[in-house]
Amino acid sequence: MGVAGPTDAGQSAPPTTEVLRVHGLVKRYGELTAVDGVSFTIQPGETFGLLGPNGAGKTTTISMIAGLIAADAGTVTVAGMGMGPSETAAKRHLGLVPQELAIYPDLTGRENLNFFGRLQGLNGKDLSRRTQEVLELIGLADRAGDLTKNYSGGMKRRLNIGIGLLHRPTLLILDEPTVGVDPQSRNSILEAVEALSSEGMAVLYTTHYMEEAERLCDRIAIIDEGSIQAEGTRDQLIKLTGGVDRINLHGSGNSTAAAAALRLVPGVQHVDGDGSALALTVHDGPSVLAGIVTGAANAGMSVTSVEITRPDLESVFLHLTGKALRD
Amino acid sequence: MRQLWIMTLKDLRQRVRDRSVFVFSLVVPLALMGVLSLVTGGFGSDDPGLEPVTVAASAANADQLATAVLDTMESQEVVDVTLNRMSADDARAAARSGAADVAIIIPDDFGSSLRSGSSPTVQVVQGDGAGLETDVLISVVVGVVDQLHAASVAAAAAGAAGLPPEAIAAIGNQAAARAPALTLKEGRASDEQLSFQGTLVAGQAGLFLMFTVGFGVLGLLAEREQGTLARLKSMPLGHGIIVASKAAVGYILGVAATGVLLVTGSLLFGVDFGSPLVVGVLVLSVVAAATSLTFIVARMVRTAEQANVAQSILAMVLGIAGGAFFPIQGSGFAQTLLDINPVGAFIRGLGISAGGGGLPEVGAPIAVMLVFAGACLVIARIIPDRGARA
Repeated sequence: MGVAGPTDAGQSAPPTTEVLRVHGLVKRYGELTAVDGVSFTIQPGETFGLLGPNGAGKTTTISMIAGLIAADAGTVTVAGMGMGPSETAAKRHLGLVPQELAIYPDLTGRENLNFFGRLQGLNGKDLSRRTQEVLELIGLADRAGDLTKNYSGGMKRRLNIGIGLLHRPTLLILDEPTVGVDPQSRNSILEAVEALSSEGMAVLYTTHYMEEAERLCDRIAIIDEGSIQAEGTRDQLIKLTGGVDRINLHGSGNSTAAAAALRLVPGVQHVDGDGSALALTVHDGPSVLAGIVTGAANAGMSVTSVEITRPDLESVFLHLTGKALRD
Repeated sequence: MRQLWIMTLKDLRQRVRDRSVFVFSLVVPLALMGVLSLVTGGFGSDDPGLEPVTVAASAANADQLATAVLDTMESQEVVDVTLNRMSADDARAAARSGAADVAIIIPDDFGSSLRSGSSPTVQVVQGDGAGLETDVLISVVVGVVDQLHAASVAAAAAGAAGLPPEAIAAIGNQAAARAPALTLKEGRASDEQLSFQGTLVAGQAGLFLMFTVGFGVLGLLAEREQGTLARLKSMPLGHGIIVASKAAVGYILGVAATGVLLVTGSLLFGVDFGSPLVVGVLVLSVVAAATSLTFIVARMVRTAEQANVAQSILAMVLGIAGGAFFPIQGSGFAQTLLDINPVGAFIRGLGISAGGGGLPEVGAPIAVMLVFAGACLVIARIIPDRGARA
């Protein structure tokens, strides 16, 4: 099965509001299957995250979705049109922000934007106005006339993103846009993505930073070894882990008696005790915290510190794959 | 077409800002031309620049044939001659003292000897300042004397055969009027050979053309290395626009640089390559051949560094084999390889053009260059794209 062309999509695909539909995508390099049956959809205004470690298949998936390489199997439709390396109609709806900086160092910021804007069909006053808007959005209006080789890393990253959204694409693909970026620029980039999403732009965001996926994405697909392990909202994914919190108590006194007492507290699933520290697994940690501290005190343990760890996407990834996200 | 133009303009702007294109395409070849020209004889033109010659001549005033020899020498149009008639001894002395560049001493019995069928001796004495000019004059004198001698021999033979006097005179005149043994033509020994200076200019233009058109390939590799190729591929560009724009950049730079080099070289070295139309067609053809070769390079290399090395090798091999520094001849298959070298064909075409040839005459070298271009494009389509796998 190849990537569907426009005719295929027009004849066989049902009417859809989906901005992106990926179905059964496969890419092989010799014996290695880099992407293995990836499927998902993105709705208008939705920010969809592909979360996975380096080498999980995110960029290869993105490359097929953006029409950079042909899929060995599966289909990609963007705004209802089949996508592939030679499908120009679908590409008009797409804005790509590659992982590597994709700007010309010997052109100015404005020249970079103008060049890519013209290739996207913008010209004249539309191009000038849109270029200025994007320059202001990415905070480079005052440096627009400088050669980009003189930009800082963060400025280059912002320009890299600005080029992708210059023509107001239906779908903006951001492939690890914050890699190697300082915290200030990273925050600026994340704010820009949030703003675009609030304006109704569909965003496909790949990252191996759990915090970014949690902050930005309406839905997240966890990808590892070329295939999607789980997909859903953050809460849906966390429920896959059982939805339990961890509470660590530190103190002095009779911790053995305290452990026995705490096993009887409602909501507490499991207690491990070791000297002056107790580790508890509980449902909804904040709501049972007061009862746990009181119970420990009543059993003769003087609590000096409490630490609650709520489950996150790292936990989900660990739960699903048996390895850490940054392995 | 609009997208092609947008991309080509962007690349040209980058190339102009990156001044290396000027260095490799204009400064280096012009400097090399200058150095080679100085090493091999200095700046100059194709005009041999023959100096006027002073001739001291001795001949009997009453001898019509001796006078005819001197008149012929004086009236030739290649060298300006100042003829001073004097005695034989004075003529020798004048040549030795430098008062004359050459002395020509025609014996007093010159005419009678010829008429009797014998071969008189004309004595020539060259002075210290003798050069190419005196050689030319001596050649003229020898030619005229040979002609007169041939006529006298023919007449003598006719007389011995018992022919009537009218027939003997006619035979003598016919022999004297035959085509001269030596004709002088201002220009080149061969119409398909450029002068040394012309070869130098054309050769350097052909040699550095490979570097110039290579900027197109380097542009493609730069897109790949700086990540912009991925972005371009994600955009709604027509099929082949990216590669076509790089080829267009190489072609435009190649035509411009070659044109400037030929014009500048012509002015600096006084070379005339002939009809601008013919030269223009030759330039367009050789740039097409060189540009098409870069398509193969683009398919075979993965990095800009590899491209630079490949282009340097190709430029040197094609340039040297094409005669950029000195003419190279071979035989059999080697000569066939030399013949299909576009740089060699370009220089041959310029030689024909410089000799006055028009478009029909340069058809063969143009065909070589265009067939070379076509063959390279076919090969580029066939071989795997190693760069795309990088």
